[in-house]
Amino acid sequence: MTKLTGFLPPALARPFAALGGVLFLIGAMLPWATFLLNDGPYPDKATLQFFDAPLELTGYRWNLLLFGVFALIATFAPTPAKARVLRAFGWGGLVISAITAIFIVGKGGGLGAITSADGNVAFGSIVGIIGGIVLILGAGAMPLDDVPHWSTKVFGLDGWAGRLAAWAVLLVAFAAMLYLVSLTLTAGGIGGAAFPYAGPIFLAFLGFAGGLLGALHGLGITGWIARLSELHRAFSIVVLLLCALALPFTDAGSQYWMQVAATIGVYAATAIGLNIVVGLAGLLDLGYVAFLGIGAFVAANLSGAVASTVGWNLPFPLAALISAAVAGIFGAIVGSPTLRVRGDYLAIVTLAFGEIFYRTAQNDIGNLTGGASAIPGIPPISMFGTAFNESVTLLGTELPIGVLYYFLIVLVVAAVMAVFANLKNSRIGRAWIAIREDEDAARAMGIATGRAKILAFLVGATLAGLAGAIFVHKLGTASYDSFKFLESVTLLAAVILGGMGTIPGAVLGASLLFVLPEKLREFEDYRLLVFGLALIFIMRFRPQGLVPDRVRRAEFAGETAEGKSIEEIQEQAVLEQEAELEREHEAPATAKETGR
Amino acid sequence: MGTLLQQIANGIVLGATIGLIALGYTMVYGIIQLINFAHGEVFMVGAFGGLAIYRWVLPESWQEQWYIALPLMLLGGVLVAVVIAVLMERFAYRPLRNAPRLAPLITALGVSVALQEAIRLWFPDADAAQPFPRVFIDKQIDLGPIEISASGLLLIVVSIVLSILLQAYVSQSRMGRAMRATSQDRDTARLMGVNPDRVIVLTFVLGAALAGVAGVLYGSYITNVDNSIGFQNGIFAFTAAVLGGIGSLRGAVIGAFIIGLIKTLGGQYLPGGTQYDYVWIFVVLILVLVFRPQGLFGDVERVRA
Repeated sequence: MTKLTGFLPPALARPFAALGGVLFLIGAMLPWATFLLNDGPYPDKATLQFFDAPLELTGYRWNLLLFGVFALIATFAPTPAKARVLRAFGWGGLVISAITAIFIVGKGGGLGAITSADGNVAFGSIVGIIGGIVLILGAGAMPLDDVPHWSTKVFGLDGWAGRLAAWAVLLVAFAAMLYLVSLTLTAGGIGGAAFPYAGPIFLAFLGFAGGLLGALHGLGITGWIARLSELHRAFSIVVLLLCALALPFTDAGSQYWMQVAATIGVYAATAIGLNIVVGLAGLLDLGYVAFLGIGAFVAANLSGAVASTVGWNLPFPLAALISAAVAGIFGAIVGSPTLRVRGDYLAIVTLAFGEIFYRTAQNDIGNLTGGASAIPGIPPISMFGTAFNESVTLLGTELPIGVLYYFLIVLVVAAVMAVFANLKNSRIGRAWIAIREDEDAARAMGIATGRAKILAFLVGATLAGLAGAIFVHKLGTASYDSFKFLESVTLLAAVILGGMGTIPGAVLGASLLFVLPEKLREFEDYRLLVFGLALIFIMRFRPQGLVPDRVRRAEFAGETAEGKSIEEIQEQAVLEQEAELEREHEAPATAKETGR
Repeated sequence: MGTLLQQIANGIVLGATIGLIALGYTMVYGIIQLINFAHGEVFMVGAFGGLAIYRWVLPESWQEQWYIALPLMLLGGVLVAVVIAVLMERFAYRPLRNAPRLAPLITALGVSVALQEAIRLWFPDADAAQPFPRVFIDKQIDLGPIEISASGLLLIVVSIVLSILLQAYVSQSRMGRAMRATSQDRDTARLMGVNPDRVIVLTFVLGAALAGVAGVLYGSYITNVDNSIGFQNGIFAFTAAVLGGIGSLRGAVIGAFIIGLIKTLGGQYLPGGTQYDYVWIFVVLILVLVFRPQGLFGDVERVRA
């Protein structure tokens, strides 16, 4: 991206950007495929027809059309940080066009499918791709202005009026976010044999959502919202929680999507736990999924399942607490070598512990894990006289089966987030970050590093154990096979992809890594290959992840990261630092802390 | 008594395999302090390279003649392993050479997963275990109370000979001296006219060649291969390298024989039997890392942990 800056003379910047926008418009109008796809017409009309469903927001044509219009507006209207905004639209349109083109080529058997064949012509995708490149080039020739900094005094209002205005803005922003999440989740529908187009539609929509968010970031709006929500913390948390609980009332409120969302929630909670160990304390844990497994097996044995050896039937909250506690104890045991071992050697020790857990669970140690036959028949959670696998009626709406698990998971994830956020800003959290940055210096500063490191393992494992207890009830079976090494790698990939040490990062990473396989069932075989390659590419090109931590010198976002992204992080850090200072009730000591 | 001797023999064969892999681990760690997690997969890819030669290159009349088939398969295995290792050094590790230490380790994990999956997806039929040609296996050699297959014996001989040759190369040759210099202090070595990039590539090449040889010989010893042999044996080899003292060639080979014996004897005599033989190796790994991270022959100063 940076290499494209200054490639064109500045005089050509605006014409190129405008041309790119026009090409998007033309591309959206042109036919995209020269044939009817084998399994019926490609959704959103790959053939000569135009919109069948003009209000279908996830259609790639509609998305491209919008980007074309937006790009033209941004080119000619006085837009702040014009280059950033246009660049985001360019990349978004490029991704939409390229993904759709690749899919049509794959399905249509060759490049003829997107050019001309049998007397039909279809240059839509190529025009879209060229439009994207032209737009990016045009944006690259513009001066790269700073992201505008919007005042947190909304509309210049003070006092209660200002507060209400800020609340209104946040409400709108979070509602829009809920809508975007619901659209993204359902974009393309359920993958697999039932609907083979799910993958490309979903990926193209991700391109759209990414482009849109990039443009909003360029306009300074996402940063503004972030600072506003920082200022009105309690209000934001409540609204965000309500938004998450409102998801079943949107289009995503079907049994299938609730199940997917609940599964994502389990892994998100686990990923946040892992993020404490890896992201905050900088201790690479390659056997983390074992704690999810320990929680799962303990809960299975306390669930009253006939096949379990212990077979106690405890109420779920108690069983969940015991599972979390047992997992936490094992976490402290696994963490104890940190007293003597560091860095990559520690990573190998955790891997060894993970493998020991896997092998012993496989061999049904003490008849506790069921071995190869697993522990089947675990009853659903039952609280307040309701079994969690039933549908419920709430506010006059019949909600699908599985929605109770979703609600429970949302609450657990919220609780885990609260634990993470409070720990991060606490004395122990600062100790962890200090250890991550330089363990010897931290020790010299009087931090009891050994105790802090074991505590990181303990807390992380406890959270994973809690998630495991829900996981096993939701699944109904506890099998050692759910806890293999590759699951640890996947969780680690989620944390790294999202961004180490940040909450949105862990949630975003877990969502992406566990939604994508649902959408791309057709390519399920390639899932692990893509994970492996993704790990390599993230480490190479964006080691700080999608949502980077504001403390720049995180263990993975070293000095080797591209200059561009470091600038961005620094910029964000400066802005957030200002926001910190803006806070009236801020104690001076804390401000100094975050501003380092 | 017969069982004990037989298990010792099995353990030595396993140790010979692990040793060849462990040498690559220990050399790479010695030079760039990287736990090349994907080294086990280089071994696995080598085995599949040998298999590919046998299946698609050798004419049928040569397949039965081990003195033609085996050298060609070894050549193929080594070639594939070396190419993969050089590519991964160039495109995955080299760009991260000055990155924080955990970054290349995660990259190595990624390479490992990607290679396993690539073989499973694209090597024909490799989604299940593949029978490895019995070019050398059919002869069982009777040594009194124990019986050992000819390919097992070959594995032991080749492993020992190659280890000695490698030791000689590193301690005697000009490039070997450059390797030792780079491992001690890369910047000073550069000042003395050593090209560290070349030395590092050479290290990867040597390690991969040994792993490739091990892959083909191990394949013909156990007579079937799948895409997971690299991960398991890679962990064993890493344990061996740590046990022997990472960075020490002699230590890696001796550590490998100890690990081989722990696995076979532990599976025979310790509670839990063969189902738990992996567990004992991981226990040894943890104990060594925690209580003696410099290993049996390691240099205390070299160990950061």
